[in-house]
Amino acid sequence: MDRGQKLFVQSCGFCHGNDATGSRAPDLIRSASVNHDENGNTIGPIIRSGRADKGMPGFPMSEAQIADIAAFLHSRVLAALNSASVEDDYPLDKLLTGNAAAGKAFFEGAGRCTTCHSATGDLAGIGRKYPPIELQSRILYPDGPRPSVTVTLPSGKQIAGTLAHLDEFTVALRDDSGWYHSWPRAQVEAAVKDPLEAHRKLLYVYADANIHDLFAYLEGLK
Amino acid sequence: MKRVYFAFALATMAHAQGLNPAALLRPPTDTWPTYNGDYSGRRFSPLTQINRQNAGSLTLVWAYQAHNVAIKSTPLEVNGILYFTVPDNVWAIDARTGRQVWHYHYESKGGDHIGHRGVAMYGEWLYFTTPDCHLVSLNARDGSVRWDIELADVKLGYFSTMAPLVIRNHVITGVSGDVTDIPGFLDSIDPETGKRQWRWYTRPNPGDPGAETWPKEGDAMSHGGGMTWMTGTYDPDLNLLYWGIGNPNPVLAGAGRLGDNLYTCSIVALNPDTGKLAWSFQPSPHDVHDWDAVQTPVVFDAEFQGARRKLLAQASRNGYFFVLESTNGKNLLTKPFIETNWASGIDERGRPVAKPSKDPSPDGSLVEPGSDGATNWMSPSFDPQTGLFYVSARRIFSEFYLTAVGKAEGWGGRDRNIWANSVLEAIDYQTGEIRWWHELGLGEGVAGIMTTAGGVLFTADNSGNLMALDASDGRTLWHAGAGGRTENCPMSYELDGRQYVVMAANDVLFAWALPEKH
Repeated sequence: MDRGQKLFVQSCGFCHGNDATGSRAPDLIRSASVNHDENGNTIGPIIRSGRADKGMPGFPMSEAQIADIAAFLHSRVLAALNSASVEDDYPLDKLLTGNAAAGKAFFEGAGRCTTCHSATGDLAGIGRKYPPIELQSRILYPDGPRPSVTVTLPSGKQIAGTLAHLDEFTVALRDDSGWYHSWPRAQVEAAVKDPLEAHRKLLYVYADANIHDLFAYLEGLK
Repeated sequence: MKRVYFAFALATMAHAQGLNPAALLRPPTDTWPTYNGDYSGRRFSPLTQINRQNAGSLTLVWAYQAHNVAIKSTPLEVNGILYFTVPDNVWAIDARTGRQVWHYHYESKGGDHIGHRGVAMYGEWLYFTTPDCHLVSLNARDGSVRWDIELADVKLGYFSTMAPLVIRNHVITGVSGDVTDIPGFLDSIDPETGKRQWRWYTRPNPGDPGAETWPKEGDAMSHGGGMTWMTGTYDPDLNLLYWGIGNPNPVLAGAGRLGDNLYTCSIVALNPDTGKLAWSFQPSPHDVHDWDAVQTPVVFDAEFQGARRKLLAQASRNGYFFVLESTNGKNLLTKPFIETNWASGIDERGRPVAKPSKDPSPDGSLVEPGSDGATNWMSPSFDPQTGLFYVSARRIFSEFYLTAVGKAEGWGGRDRNIWANSVLEAIDYQTGEIRWWHELGLGEGVAGIMTTAGGVLFTADNSGNLMALDASDGRTLWHAGAGGRTENCPMSYELDGRQYVVMAANDVLFAWALPEKH
């Protein structure tokens, strides 16, 4: 593939662009010939004979050279096919556009993050714990603790536990001893406490700068 | 026009089990002959046997287990047989019993198997789109193949999931694409021969009106996306076909395609006989969030600001509800149906104005809704009795990243979902106000909606409950835990004096009715 890239840049890049996205000549990532090609069987004849009608000269290349160019072009197509994802190895420097001091001020001030969190307590070293892109997502909405719930039965008896399920019709919990219970919602009172409620509310409040500042601050807690 | 319908009716009467084309022009009672039940896209059944007084006693008649991927299709029901699909598969089952009549399997050569919406019917023939972008005509008697044509080249990234729409002797068929930068189009296919009658590309030809909404230089317009992956609607009085068009490509990277990018993210009106464009309206000019405008363009005649008008309404993926005049595309109303954060206002043509600060960026932009949309393919419904437009809405927050360096290819970025929940909303079509809403739970709901003249709205929540609500106030009338997620849209039909409601959960199709009298 590297050999193919070098060869492509030397022989083809001037017209098709060094990255094959087109210049004087068409974008090859979007080309039917390239997308139908297997190991140079479609593009080989075009490279060798050229396309006189479109002003493309022929290039006398070996089988091996054509296979290398084909490998390079297929890797470019694959990169386009994979362009719909943001992976965990997303580079830190792209994300690090905020101001850590402003992030600290938001954390301790307007964001009211210190209501639940501490930079020296639960969040100490948080910048080491997750890949940067994962940390940014988790700042916005963490994969946090489940809500707790207290269910009041018609008798007045109360049962508390971790919320196991809640929909319009049913409430279910796991009690402290690990047992599961469920009730029709129409027959009991269910008081749910969700520790992530403040995160949800902030989604409606954040300016993007707040998010980038917060990220710069928390990423720096190593 | 009337004479043509009459001739078709005569021709098909000999085939007792086939579809009489006149059924396409009637409200769906004993027949559900097309994806949305009728041409209007209202998903409103005129049946009243199941109503708000008795819906609480609905009972299971049968369940059909497809043993396959999730059913996202709406079955057709014609002369007692249901026809439904998943990618590569079509079933005919007995609408009274759920017993299989036949099953057809297609061997696709690659292609995207993301989902399938269902078949179309013409006389005794079915029309089925495939993951490798073919259109197959099947004999409805036994599922045997009559012909199989290629719509577009699967190797370039085309596929098809949609249920075609039959208008007279036109099988109107759309295509999908996702990652690759290919142009979208709509085809009209001859139902007998499989020959193409016309093709309408969703981008203008160079030099035509609309071409000025793309860069003059380069290949942006000819590779600009704009897929046609949901079934459109039709107004027989105006002889206009309405279609929602998908997002532009590269999906999140807009720098290489400056301009509004017509006719991506647009609602268009075409002449179904010629494929000629009558008008267009663009819910998302120059989209960079994957908010295609393919959601059903629902057409109805109703009062608007004191005058009876021909209307078209769409709850669009970008979070805005639009009402247009269906005769000319003029915007009458634009109103958000969720709390969006990406627009600074509405322009003089009724289009939301995007804030550049909410474009995808390398360090991330927090946008509501995310790319999955404030709604999506699941059917909305318009109930002429309540005057309400119902939509399965989602409040989705998502962080949008731009990853493209140099000339973007494909998506050029992606959003990461942060948080979502779902709500069924009843919108007053004259004001855009939300008359009532019914929470459906955490996550992204994908169940469609049907309303009935019995005053009942059918849908499902995000916890596997199929539900009947009172269409006037959203009160729950009935529910059943179906043990799976509903990804298709409810439909209804009456046979032997009994009204059935059919909905899927995961890969199981359920039929509900009132208890039999013994």
